[in-house]
Amino acid sequence: MIDNSKIFANIKSHRIKYKIILTIMAIILLILVCLNMTIGEKNYSLMEVIHTLLSSENNYIIVKLRLPRTLAGIFCGIAFAIAGNTFQTLLGNSLASPDIIGVSSGSTVAAVFCILFLNLNRGLVSFVAVLAGAASALLIYKLASKDGYSTNRLILTGIGAQAFFSALINWMIKKASEYDVPTAMRWMSGNLNGITTDTLPLLIVIVLLALITMTYLSNSLQALELGENYATVLGVNVDVTRSLLILISVVLIAFATAISGPISSIAFLSGPIAGRLCSKNQINTIPAALTGAILVLAGDFIGQNLLPTRYPVGIITGILGAPYLVYLLIKQNKGGSI
Amino acid sequence: MKDNILIANDIVAGYGDNTIIDGINLKIPPHKISVILGSNGSGKSTMLKTFCRLLTPQSGSIVLNDKSLQEMKNKDIAKSIGLLPQNSVAPEGITVAELVTRGRFPYRKFMCSLTAEDYTAVKEAMEAMKICDLADRSIDELSGGQRQRVFIALALAQQTDILFLDEPTTFLDIAYQIEILDLLKELNRKKKTTIVMVLHDINLSSKYADYIFAMKNGKLIKEGSPSDIITSQTIEEIYGLKSVVITDPVSCSPMIIPISSHDDLTNVS
Amino acid sequence: MKQNKITIVFTIGIIVLILSVIVSITYGAKAVGLSDIIDGIFGRNTDSFNANVVAARIPRTIFGLIAGASLSIAGVLMQSITRNPIADPSILGVNTGASLFIVIGIAFFNIQSKIAYMGIAFVGALITALFVYNLASLGNGGATPIKLAISGAAVSNALTSLISIFVMPDSSVMTTFRFWQIGSIGGTTNTDILLLLPFTIAAIVISLMLSNNLDTMLLSEETAKALGLNIGLTRGIAAICGVILCSTTTALAGPISFIGLMIPHLIRAIVGSNHKILILSSGIYGGAILIISDVLGRILGRPGELESGIMTALIGAPVFIYLIRKAKLQSL
Repeated sequence: MIDNSKIFANIKSHRIKYKIILTIMAIILLILVCLNMTIGEKNYSLMEVIHTLLSSENNYIIVKLRLPRTLAGIFCGIAFAIAGNTFQTLLGNSLASPDIIGVSSGSTVAAVFCILFLNLNRGLVSFVAVLAGAASALLIYKLASKDGYSTNRLILTGIGAQAFFSALINWMIKKASEYDVPTAMRWMSGNLNGITTDTLPLLIVIVLLALITMTYLSNSLQALELGENYATVLGVNVDVTRSLLILISVVLIAFATAISGPISSIAFLSGPIAGRLCSKNQINTIPAALTGAILVLAGDFIGQNLLPTRYPVGIITGILGAPYLVYLLIKQNKGGSI
Repeated sequence: MKDNILIANDIVAGYGDNTIIDGINLKIPPHKISVILGSNGSGKSTMLKTFCRLLTPQSGSIVLNDKSLQEMKNKDIAKSIGLLPQNSVAPEGITVAELVTRGRFPYRKFMCSLTAEDYTAVKEAMEAMKICDLADRSIDELSGGQRQRVFIALALAQQTDILFLDEPTTFLDIAYQIEILDLLKELNRKKKTTIVMVLHDINLSSKYADYIFAMKNGKLIKEGSPSDIITSQTIEEIYGLKSVVITDPVSCSPMIIPISSHDDLTNVS
Repeated sequence: MKQNKITIVFTIGIIVLILSVIVSITYGAKAVGLSDIIDGIFGRNTDSFNANVVAARIPRTIFGLIAGASLSIAGVLMQSITRNPIADPSILGVNTGASLFIVIGIAFFNIQSKIAYMGIAFVGALITALFVYNLASLGNGGATPIKLAISGAAVSNALTSLISIFVMPDSSVMTTFRFWQIGSIGGTTNTDILLLLPFTIAAIVISLMLSNNLDTMLLSEETAKALGLNIGLTRGIAAICGVILCSTTTALAGPISFIGLMIPHLIRAIVGSNHKILILSSGIYGGAILIISDVLGRILGRPGELESGIMTALIGAPVFIYLIRKAKLQSL
């Protein structure tokens, strides 16, 4: 007879490690929030910031600029991260994140169109971006499934769609008046400038709802990770669960994109980093969410304060993400998992 | 222990417009090891998939204890019927113990961590497949035979009374084949688990099966004990192959010797 | 029968090419008549406004022809040496590689001459193509389509963020780059053509000389070796020709994608895999298609025009998806 504790010693120690890592991540996030709230063109002490927020004093920089900027950073980060993590887990490939397979650029096309040609406000832009993102996800999925669905074909189709969408985006940027172009270019590289408080409540509600649903579905997602066959045999309603997960991810991506622009690499990086820190044995929704928020806030802090020129956050995260992307590719190709 | 009776009622199934199984009625004998035999394309894997709900029948129904599977809840079926599919994928870097634990999905509740029952079931499954010492190894570094045992343990952790296996011995060398089949036989004798397998090897089927279903062109053409089915006449009917049947000197089950067109038949009585 | 088919393909190709050249010269914001064209070509009557319009459209058309032919032939070469049906300059990340180097050139070395553009684009393209191909060849099964496409897309993604780092802080770099980045054959001059032509002709002639070797390479590697082919050398020369063809074009016109993917596929489906015929006919059709894309861009983009790079992506991306959809699952 083998002792229970021996077989599961590792599983149990993982659970403890998991809690410790979550705590550390939360602390890092908190520190970044403090940094982003206090440091900038004008520096405030932490006490001043807390006092201002509690007393509803009307300090323009803290209340109208830094608070929305920080909140948007956190929640867009979470949105990109959990959407990416879900896609990667569902499709069983870290490279299958929505920013690589064209779902994000579907939203971007719609958003750029609304911004450049229709001058819509951000709320409406979000709505249109959600519809376009969902439509492109559905289109890519439909195009990829002929006599059965295949992840490889989905990724290739996504790459094709991506090329098509970027051509549309280039076209619109070319057509736009000279004056709007820098705005659009900046927006397209992912940016937390000029975010106003009114768009935030909806984003926060959506992200929180999505987090709860994703956590609820994480057991099913674990089963789905073993492949469609196993999931069915284990009692998962494959079609419903998969569609629901994809729908939620697309909504997250599109909303966040409409608010901050496509902050590159967050969707793609957060899941693998969280997996590496915690363990690949579970669905890392919460750690991925924290990672996403940390990456965005850290990127924004670096881009705003630490470099000679101010860069939008998306550029910083893009540069951070690029080597990792290549590294991951080398590892995956060598391991033969594609 | 109650008998879980699984019956196929007039099943027609296939992919798209292509009908592969054409009207099959059969009852899985409870607590026995059954093997489905048939040539390539005879529909045996399709039959297995239909039993496990991987394929919805075009007409007919699969009935578990007087209830059609279509009327049952997914998780309830998952507590009764388990499967080892032909191709299993594991998430990269997952450990053996964690992978087997995923078989507990139908029993888990929202936001709850694993219960004592979950741990016991996983442990028993791993013991039955003799993989306890592999618990912390990554699945990527196991041999083919070890991997297969881990995936069978996953299905066992599901604690079902009926277990389907789709070609569990393909791609394994003969020693691993015997190892896996021995473990399955032990499982059947100890726990009375009903086992249904698709196997390619006729002699191994005859050695391990209590009951054999023979399929051809999407129809069930014969069923019965190995000594009823493994006859040179039936083998020719299923595979179109001439053979001589002798008795296995060790297990006393029937064994076939295929006849090649080059064989000299003058010595055969 | 087969010979017949090939003759038909060539004849139709040449007719289409001639028609597209005529349309390209006559059609535009200002329509001109046949006499104006003749005047324009022979430089007579140079005060006539219409003749000047024609004179401006001629280099654009000729350049389009050369660029289209170069890109398709580059596609043929890359598909053959990688034995991969979706290899194409844009999939291999060549465009982005060239872009990155050109941006660095604009931002730090203040490059202006076209020859500098071409040189720097060639280096960028070559490095990127080698990098992507080697990345995709790691692990089992060599550079399969899926590995190649993902590696290309990933490297392009990575390079794109590097590009923005250089473009973002300096608005003059942004302006120069933005216009280069959208592939267009609109702004080219006779000098550009003269500059491009020697490279293009040399690369095409060498590719044609290699065509028997390339035919043999399509067999399995072992067979080719057994037949006495120096695989490494053939592959190396063909790769350099391919990169020269696409990088020089890219340097002058900006990234034009998918021509190298679409044309060879269509042609191969009709004439088979004989490289001599494949290279020649891909060249003819590639030139014609790029000119037609350019004309379509002028029609759809009115009152301005839609760059041919955008047009080819809009036409080519769906063709790519169609090819993926048609391919057998295992071969991906």
